[in-house]
Amino acid sequence: MQAGKATRPFFSLRSIGLFLHDRRWLIAAFVIGAVLYVVPPPDGLSREGQLVLIVSLVAVILFVTEPVPLPSVALMIIIAQITLLGLDSSKVARSLMSDSVLFIMGSLMLAVAIVKQKLDKRIAYLIVRATGTGIYPICVGISFVCGVLASIIGEHTVAAMMLPVAITLVTLTSDNPKEVKGLAAVLLFSISYGCAIGGIGTPSGGARNAIMISYWKDFFFDPTNPETRRFLVDYVTWIKFAYPVFLAQLPLVTLILFAVFKPERKTLRRAVAKLRKQIEVRGPMTGRDWAAVGIFLATLVGWVTMSESVGLGTIALIGAVLFLIVGLVPWNDMNTGVNWGVVWLYAATISLGVEMQESGAAEWVATSFLDLLGPMNMDQGMPLLAAYTGLTTLVTNTMSAGAAVAVLGPIALRTAEIAGEDPLYLGFITAISSSFAYFTAAAHPAFTIVYASGYLKAADFFKVGWRMAIMSAVVLLIAAKFYWPLLGLS
Amino acid sequence: MLEDEFDSDLQDNLGSRFQILVCIDGSDESYSGLRYAVRMGADNSADLTLLYVRPVDQGLRSGGLQMRVARENMLKWGVQLPGTKALTKGRDMLVEMGFMADDWKEQVVHTDVTGDPLGDNTTVYKNDEGACISLKLLVSPRVDRGILDECEVGNYDITIISMSETDEAKSHAGYISPATTFAVATQHRGTVLVARELEEDHGHFMCVDFTEKAIQSAVKDAQIASRCHCPVFLYSVAATEDELETAKSVVARAKAAIEAEGLSIAGQSTGVGDPVECIVGKGRNYSLIVLADSSVKGLRRFFTTSVAYEVLQKAANSVMIVR
Repeated sequence: MQAGKATRPFFSLRSIGLFLHDRRWLIAAFVIGAVLYVVPPPDGLSREGQLVLIVSLVAVILFVTEPVPLPSVALMIIIAQITLLGLDSSKVARSLMSDSVLFIMGSLMLAVAIVKQKLDKRIAYLIVRATGTGIYPICVGISFVCGVLASIIGEHTVAAMMLPVAITLVTLTSDNPKEVKGLAAVLLFSISYGCAIGGIGTPSGGARNAIMISYWKDFFFDPTNPETRRFLVDYVTWIKFAYPVFLAQLPLVTLILFAVFKPERKTLRRAVAKLRKQIEVRGPMTGRDWAAVGIFLATLVGWVTMSESVGLGTIALIGAVLFLIVGLVPWNDMNTGVNWGVVWLYAATISLGVEMQESGAAEWVATSFLDLLGPMNMDQGMPLLAAYTGLTTLVTNTMSAGAAVAVLGPIALRTAEIAGEDPLYLGFITAISSSFAYFTAAAHPAFTIVYASGYLKAADFFKVGWRMAIMSAVVLLIAAKFYWPLLGLS
Repeated sequence: MLEDEFDSDLQDNLGSRFQILVCIDGSDESYSGLRYAVRMGADNSADLTLLYVRPVDQGLRSGGLQMRVARENMLKWGVQLPGTKALTKGRDMLVEMGFMADDWKEQVVHTDVTGDPLGDNTTVYKNDEGACISLKLLVSPRVDRGILDECEVGNYDITIISMSETDEAKSHAGYISPATTFAVATQHRGTVLVARELEEDHGHFMCVDFTEKAIQSAVKDAQIASRCHCPVFLYSVAATEDELETAKSVVARAKAAIEAEGLSIAGQSTGVGDPVECIVGKGRNYSLIVLADSSVKGLRRFFTTSVAYEVLQKAANSVMIVR
């Protein structure tokens, strides 16, 4: 047999050429960084702030172009903080671990544990029982269930669980993908966008939410000043602000999908009948199934009632540990199912975000951004919120939502202070609009998982994504204008 | 048959039989390349390898949840992954065309790849006469790198890869983009056939210049064309009228070299003008435009172009670069 991969000589002219070609963006990022390093800082920006911005810019270029594995960018950020900014290595190490990083670790472990429980067939059964066989109600049902679940346990978990359900419905309808292109698109995008809009619903719906909550606490909460307690945003408070925004988008998702794609079938009677037969083979709920549901519900109750006192991350870790103790998932599955590089990535970007605030870089960028918006009368009120919605949407489409909030969060919160706006307002706007990464197949974790099925074209994401982005932005701004003031924001 | 015996037979075959690699992405164009490969390997005189390269899943893009968790869940539901279906379709086509039969011996080889639930998988089919067909589903950080690695390992006599920008082609998960095809065509050390609106029975349009390499390539192309009984038409371009005689003599040299190998050509012609425009324009009426490899090597390939690569970019039909 032919075995193994070919190994090219490492130092041949050809291999050096390929190496340089592959890392052209790394070289470009370092060259840009080096040029900016020797340029004196602009007025109003300290040398330290300039260095933080240079590190951020280089990191953003590397996040977007991915010339090297992304966890190595996280490690470069840590090294740059110590060597370029001259920070004490112990201080940098401490800044890497926070409740939001614990939350990211815990929720990823929970995600693996939940997917392994094979509850997806039971969820699918509930959906088709509730919706019947019409393609429209099935899509609404999938979006709703995906959204509600993604608002609690993270979109990647839900996408991984629900993807086989949609593909099974498609393949049971026709073996030829060309005959069911429209049907596959509406079913799979119902999962994708259900997950994407649901992730904003609760703090545990995504790392971006936990990061913003930790920024509010770190930047504005003063234990000696009772007035700053409002910046300790708990689970229920977040739900009050964000859940209605998710629910308002829900019916619009299916409308947009059916306007863009034309499913070839109006009903899935035969496919649903076959799916029901497959699902019924599973039999009644077992003790393991009940134990999994029990741990999941206990984690949810813990988030709602105890997150303010012990933190979101601690509750997530307790949930993950319970799955391990009860024996519902082996450690090896958790260990191999989680990409630990993501934890490094978030830890480093959050640490950089804190440094951006402390060095004055965030203030300088915020002032510059307001100066830019001033002549257009967009430097306060609703126009400012709209500007940040647009900016965050653009940024989040080029990198992960968590990284976007980690980088933009300190700038948005400082902007709010300078413009005399409530930091909670701009914080919610930034965190929620970071989920409007709808334009590419790699923009959302749920999109990547669904795209890997092979049933969607990359161009389809943009085709439906720009319509979704406009709809989501309008719903968010309407909520900010008319609903959030009712909750006490001004 | 024992696995070792099976492997040793396969190794023997690699040295002696004509080896064709066909890159499959599920598009119609890639299957037209497969049909052409079947013609070249008529009567099982060549071994075929169908290759589908899937990029390694990026756990970071899926939010930190390793993609393998989602893929394993799909496998538990009995859902086929992209690649498996495309290769199976290729195998079914070979059976339909009579190139292989259902009773061929089958061996499946699996190689674990970190971070991927499927890893590398090869299914080898073999008949008693020693003919061999392999279906390879490999994972690689990038599709072009995966194909190039396989090209180097396999010592293939010819690699067939599609170049298509139709909506049909783009709709496939494993779509081989023009950039990937171009990377393979320029970086591979062996002969590459870029299948683009590949129509059979129109012959090979072999373009030659004054270099010895071009004459050798013409002979090699005539040998390949003879496998599928395709006529060869020789062509050379003179930049000016003054150089026309030189072009004619180049064609005559190539013809003599081909005939010295016991092969024949179906026609010969010359043209005057810009080589790329002449070749692309006149070659449009043939199944393939065939050119010798560029003389540009190493790093220079990244910064310079040659007639072969310009033709590859501008031609509307298939192009074969002979090395």
